[in-house]
Amino acid sequence: MTGEQNVIDPEGEPAPTPAGPLHAVVPKSPGFWKEAWRRFRTRKLAMVALAFVVLLALIAIFSPAIAGTKPVVVKYKGNLYFPALAYFNGSWENPVFAKDKFRKRYPKNLEEKDPDHWAIWPLSFNDPYRRVQDGEWPDRSGNPTQIDGQPSRLNWLGTDQQGVDVFAQMVHGSRIALLVGFVSMGIASVIGVVVGALAGYFGGWVDTLLSRVIEVVLCIPTLVLILALLAIIEQVTIWHMMAIIGATRWTSIARLTRAEFLKLKQMDFVAAARATGIGPIRIMFKYLLPNALAPVLVPITFGIASAILIESSLSFLGFGAPPPNPSWGTLLSAGRSNYQLWWLIVFPGTAIFLAVLAYNLIGEGLQEATDPRLRDADG
Amino acid sequence: MLSYIVRRLGIGLITLTLITFIIYALIRNMPGSPVTQELSQLDPGKAISQEDYERIMKSYGLDKPWYIAYGIWVKNVAVGDLGRSFSRKRPVTQLVVERVGPTLLLSVSSLLLTYLLSIPLGLAATARAGSIEERTGSTILYMLYSFPSFVAALFLQLQFAVRMGWLPLFGMVSDNYDSLSAFGKATDIFWHALLPVTCYTYGSLAYYSRFIRANMQEVIRQDYIRTARAKGLGPIRVLWHHAFRNTLIPLVTLIGLTLPTLLSGSIIIEQIFTWPGMGRLFFESIRERDYPTIMGLTLMFSILTLAGQLLADVLYAVVDPRVRLEDK
Repeated sequence: MTGEQNVIDPEGEPAPTPAGPLHAVVPKSPGFWKEAWRRFRTRKLAMVALAFVVLLALIAIFSPAIAGTKPVVVKYKGNLYFPALAYFNGSWENPVFAKDKFRKRYPKNLEEKDPDHWAIWPLSFNDPYRRVQDGEWPDRSGNPTQIDGQPSRLNWLGTDQQGVDVFAQMVHGSRIALLVGFVSMGIASVIGVVVGALAGYFGGWVDTLLSRVIEVVLCIPTLVLILALLAIIEQVTIWHMMAIIGATRWTSIARLTRAEFLKLKQMDFVAAARATGIGPIRIMFKYLLPNALAPVLVPITFGIASAILIESSLSFLGFGAPPPNPSWGTLLSAGRSNYQLWWLIVFPGTAIFLAVLAYNLIGEGLQEATDPRLRDADG
Repeated sequence: MLSYIVRRLGIGLITLTLITFIIYALIRNMPGSPVTQELSQLDPGKAISQEDYERIMKSYGLDKPWYIAYGIWVKNVAVGDLGRSFSRKRPVTQLVVERVGPTLLLSVSSLLLTYLLSIPLGLAATARAGSIEERTGSTILYMLYSFPSFVAALFLQLQFAVRMGWLPLFGMVSDNYDSLSAFGKATDIFWHALLPVTCYTYGSLAYYSRFIRANMQEVIRQDYIRTARAKGLGPIRVLWHHAFRNTLIPLVTLIGLTLPTLLSGSIIIEQIFTWPGMGRLFFESIRERDYPTIMGLTLMFSILTLAGQLLADVLYAVVDPRVRLEDK
């Protein structure tokens, strides 16, 4: 029971030992998570997957600097501005540009209104929400549409039917993929852990009731429940989708938490905690949860993969957030309306696959690194 | 055993009531009604008078509050009447019977293929555990397992239907289907089913062979395997007779759990291939706000899921004498 060490000394520091020669003989035992990380690191595929997810996160964070039509940094009339931040939140664009009637066309307007300006531009001058017009950038022709939009020097991954750049959409779509995974699974983890902890710790009628609830949610086909819930909302946004995915995908987390709590509550340290008069809520979340965390993290990681999958399939079916929504699934469904535009299917499809694969591999690695049974097996 | 089954059935009935109640409440609170949905498809400009609207709603039984309408629905289901579809003007049972064939065609052939391929694959992986072929094979299978089926469907369509033109893009039959001979009809459906069946199969193939391999890995360490090897049995006989037979127990429970997916079909795959199956029926009925069809299908899927779980537990007890059902 490696996990128990966590409770006794959560920092992994050696327990205060009586002074003497004994202190020198006992080596500091590595903490549970340190040990798990050491095991995780030995798995090459899992590490590659982790690197991929980190890369994806970097792309998502720096998406406005990678593809966009707004300068990352601009010195305009003596002041520094960061107009590209508008891709994160529309209101972060300094009102001075609206006042000066830029209308989202930066290069020309900057030239006309302040010849002394300087600016740092994104790597690829393309907008994820609209087509780049003729002459918007000096000597740059507008984006091609329909079958002409093949991958080219200007549009690295081609353009869609309306001439919107695919690379820009995918870069900005990575934000959605990342957010969907973490936010919806965050919601699902909170629900799942609370339900599972209550059922497992209290047992009795609480357990019976909550187990029924879990069974009911489990029995309704996911897509059915999600479609029905989505249909109720008048104006679906990406946040609604995350909330709904989170509210429907917590059952496996709850079941695992329940099983872990059932097992752990028999332990001596719980009896000790109870004997000192600590309340049940504190016991559950301060003493039991850290020990149950490792096995519960595994379904959460797999859940991130399935959340990305669900969001992209819903967007693909046309139930996602309304446009402009550069989700990878939306791009795929655009490709389905005209199979000649193969780049609309191949690139976003591969992106979805790689993201799902990466999270699955991390989940697998985590499972093998933290499961004591599997650990003993490989000697 | 019998008392256990009876108790499980009783609990199942409560679960079923809860599920249908939740779904009914949800779908009745969706914006739009079957009447408005139907009209907007016909002619967006055509407004309907208030009296007509109320008359039609009344004829559908939608003038009552949803919880009363739910009671009526339950009462009808109890006597075996699932109601009539609003948009298709036909009994729901008839629609289901019509659509279940195409879905079964895909799911059953895919299930057979999965078993036929995954057992040899899993055994081969065990026999050659640790070799380079086995590791590459496992990695490829793992990648396939993570490959989203709708992405695979689109890739396959792109490659085999659009680029190479070997296979039809979608649909279940060609336009000239009615004029074909019996043999021609069968081959026509075969060609159309090839891509959807592939999409159904590859994921479960990867899952099953990994599952078999994982179970075999546990069994192969047992003492009786060492005994069998020690008395000079060949590797194939050891694998098949002594090891594989002992991994059948988890496999059997897995069969119970796949029961609901056999009939429910996949909404997204059937949608991509415009396959006239159950998944597509469900998708369409949500769009059309066809409450009786949605409810009928939900009821069916939930019964199958619950029955599958029960079947898995019972089968588990049947094949493994160590498991007793009563004291759970």
